[in-house]
Amino acid sequence: MTDFLLRIGYQSWIIPTLLLLPIGGMLPVLLAPARLAKRLALVVTTVELVLSLGLWWAFDASSGAMQFVASTPWLPDWGISYRVGIDGISLFMVLLTTLTMPICVLGSWAYITERERGYYALLLTLLSGMLGVFVSLDLFLFYVFWEVMLIPMYFIIGMWGGKNRLYAAIKFFIYTMVGSLLMLVAILMMVWKVGAATGVLDFSYEHLLSHSMILGSAAPWLFGAFALAFAIKVPVFPFHTWLPDAHVEAPTAGSVILAGVLLKMGTYGFLRFAIPFFPDVAFAPAIAALAVTLAVIGIIYGALVALVQPDVKKLVAYSSVSHLGFVMLGIWAATVQSVQGALMVMINHGLSTGALFLLIGMLYERRHSRLIADFGGIAKVVPVFSLIFTVVALSSIGLPGLNGFVGEFLVLLGSFRAYPLATGIATTGVIFAAAYLLWALQRIIFNRLDQPENESLVDLTPRELIVLAPLLMGIVWLGLYPAPVLRRMEPTSRSFVESLQPVLEKPAAGAARSKMEATR
Amino acid sequence: MNPIDTSTPLGVSLALLPEIVVSVAAMGVLLVTAWRHRTAADSRLAGWLSLAGLLIGLGTQIWLWAAGARVEGISQMVAVDGYRFAANVIFLIAAIVTVVLSLGYLEREGMLAPEYYTLLLLATVGAMLLGGATDLILVFLGLEVMSVAVYVLAGFDRRNPFSSEAALKYFLIGAFASGFLLYGIALVYGTAGTTNLQMIGAQYAHGGATLMGTLGLALLLIGFLFKVAAVPFHMWAPDVYDGAPTPVTGFMATAVKAAGFVALTRMVLVAFPAAQGLWQPVLGILAIATMVVGNLIALSQRSLKRMLAYSSVAHAGYLLAAVWPGTRIGAASVLVYLLAYGLTSLAAFGLLAALGREGEREVTTEDLSGLARSRPWMAMAMAVCMLSLLGFPGTFGFIGKWMILSALITSGQWLIPVVLVLASVVSAGYYLPVIMAMYMKPARSAGAHDGAELTRPAVGVLAVIIVALLVLGVVPTEALAVSMHTATALFDRAFVPLGQ
Repeated sequence: MTDFLLRIGYQSWIIPTLLLLPIGGMLPVLLAPARLAKRLALVVTTVELVLSLGLWWAFDASSGAMQFVASTPWLPDWGISYRVGIDGISLFMVLLTTLTMPICVLGSWAYITERERGYYALLLTLLSGMLGVFVSLDLFLFYVFWEVMLIPMYFIIGMWGGKNRLYAAIKFFIYTMVGSLLMLVAILMMVWKVGAATGVLDFSYEHLLSHSMILGSAAPWLFGAFALAFAIKVPVFPFHTWLPDAHVEAPTAGSVILAGVLLKMGTYGFLRFAIPFFPDVAFAPAIAALAVTLAVIGIIYGALVALVQPDVKKLVAYSSVSHLGFVMLGIWAATVQSVQGALMVMINHGLSTGALFLLIGMLYERRHSRLIADFGGIAKVVPVFSLIFTVVALSSIGLPGLNGFVGEFLVLLGSFRAYPLATGIATTGVIFAAAYLLWALQRIIFNRLDQPENESLVDLTPRELIVLAPLLMGIVWLGLYPAPVLRRMEPTSRSFVESLQPVLEKPAAGAARSKMEATR
Repeated sequence: MNPIDTSTPLGVSLALLPEIVVSVAAMGVLLVTAWRHRTAADSRLAGWLSLAGLLIGLGTQIWLWAAGARVEGISQMVAVDGYRFAANVIFLIAAIVTVVLSLGYLEREGMLAPEYYTLLLLATVGAMLLGGATDLILVFLGLEVMSVAVYVLAGFDRRNPFSSEAALKYFLIGAFASGFLLYGIALVYGTAGTTNLQMIGAQYAHGGATLMGTLGLALLLIGFLFKVAAVPFHMWAPDVYDGAPTPVTGFMATAVKAAGFVALTRMVLVAFPAAQGLWQPVLGILAIATMVVGNLIALSQRSLKRMLAYSSVAHAGYLLAAVWPGTRIGAASVLVYLLAYGLTSLAAFGLLAALGREGEREVTTEDLSGLARSRPWMAMAMAVCMLSLLGFPGTFGFIGKWMILSALITSGQWLIPVVLVLASVVSAGYYLPVIMAMYMKPARSAGAHDGAELTRPAVGVLAVIIVALLVLGVVPTEALAVSMHTATALFDRAFVPLGQ
């Protein structure tokens, strides 16, 4: 397979193709007759998925460096180029994105009945934007993709969302924009400072990375701007308030994309930019303590709030805050295991939460309600649905043998040495997760069948099974045999952690780390 | 092209060719309208003639630019350099778009006085002279030619009391501002003994910081800040923009404002580089104030036209921030931003003119509800305009903002950029609801948008602008290179000592 891919020059054309195909597909979708729109979108997204699968084999698992790098000047006078590449961190984000999209198109098949052409065109734009964020190796390009992707999501929430969609859409937009515009200032500042010191004006990632130590006293401010943009996107407590609104009001596919891909952009940003650029700041005692504390608060707070939600979609939305807290903890623990674990949680959360949102959407299409109180005992009426819902919920809880376990276990294992107390508290988050999901499961699927409306529910259709199948396969596969995935992310995680060693091993920092643990 | 010898009549004519062409067109249209000024056909004829004149003017301008026209030594009255040429292209484009949009608008609103076009051409000549002036006397002349024509244009809708109010207000404030400007010119002349910008620059370099010299500079600045509607001299702008006929508002927000900024940039960079310590803090503080106040007040407007008027105050703030660094990239970013903002707001006002039949003063954001269903292309164009005004990546507006930010940051400034981006976030609070109304809310009544029609030439012009905004948003390479190249002109000879 690898030989075949190399023979057709896969590594040189794959990223541009992935980026341009959806944009190119947008026009036919917009111009085609309305009933063809979704079929065309399905074709484009499926082709994307198939093409991107080649990355799995073509990717050199033994290397932690950037691969498939392509570079073309864009605004050469300004040091801006179209520069892309994939490493062990972005590989899985790209695959997760391309996997999510056909599922979203199929998942919207029956739900979206109005202005279909616009909807599917926006989904395709979103696909390009999201992929662009994950593969950009030029900060200007990254920023453009990061912002551009806002617009389709804004329209998807605002045009096809629920009752309160306008509020949710504008809140989502403005929250993200505050962070990202400050990040733009930070990017320009950084490029200029590095340019002034080295004499080379260059927005490329590698150039900035290798010279970021000259930023000196500006570094904390620049880190702050990057961190704010990413923290809002993750979202880290207390910047999470846009998330429940956006998740609940978005149409099913919108929620799946939000949970599956968009939130990962925040943690990806930390892994790719904020921490490697400014390791000294990120792991300064106070900042590290703050980050870990916020991560733990997110884990516990998200779980507790999820526990009391009457609306099951909101419950899942808050569970995202909790899961992403694990990712943040794993990143800041900075061991190879914890970083791999964080990456695994990012993937798992995409699969499990995506599947949960799809299932809730399917339930909503049948019953037009998402209130837990409106259900009960539907296992008798819709056994297949109930089985799948249970499996997915268990995977989200982190049951061994399913995917969720692998990631959270690695994070906790890897973080324990650095932050025993924080890890200890975070572990209770797993228990809370079991509580809110199992309790919801009990009230929706089991209990007594006491509502007459629920007696006539229809079980999953073949189309819906096809939608769920890839996610379920991923859930089981990653749970039983995560080794190939872990192997591919290991070199990158290792080099990420190794690049941080000088900072972590500073006696002052080390002392502060243990002191902080002692005081908390 | 050889250097133009401006001591001969031929040389002067050559250097001023575009201005002469447009002036002749203005006279020609005036002559024609003396005989024919009754029917709609007469008005249309004047419009097409003006359009022809402007296109020829644009052609000659581009020819001069492409041929690399320049003068030997210092320029006496008018600069012959790329910065003037680029600015002229912006003014001419603004005038062309305004004429095309006016063709349908005047007929629809029953304002059948073909003199309108003469005034528009004269205002364009004034803008061109103001933007290219290298002598304070010509600055004043250009400003007055432009302003007097625009005073009349603002009050062109005689039956509408708001239009008359706008004209009167604009005239009074304009006269007041001219007074400041003239007094400033007098004091600067008293200090430097000359009105030529470069010679003033040389004089100020050797001790111009006397009380008289400082006061002169301050009064000059106040005059300009009135004209470009910077806070705290902005009070007139919303009422005037609101009351004037919509195509005229578009022209004021683009060509008139652009002329003010080009002249301001040239003046501070050529005549007062030595006094940077005096004007820079003033511009910096006022830029921040203008961005903040303009955006916050725009946020609370219900009428779309008033909202755009206040947003144009906010954009004046961004432009002041672009002038602030006083560097080559700063001067270049003024041009790029003027082009980006100009194109966008011309299109936005053009669309607004089409949407509001008989009284676009009353068009609120809510009135656009459901536009995307009945007029999908208009809605899309409007959405692109809003995103470009917001400075969203993928549109030319973003390139403009990015360049201003670059200019500020390369001068080591961080406060103004931070305020600028936060102000942009605030502006999302009023640009996005427009998109929201068009796409996400149902129409208020079945035939709510039946009246929204554009003439065919207007559709063509708007389509070109929208495509240009998107294309330049992705491949701005040429626009950036040209602007950087032309901005060099302001620095090449900035410090020529007197007598050399």
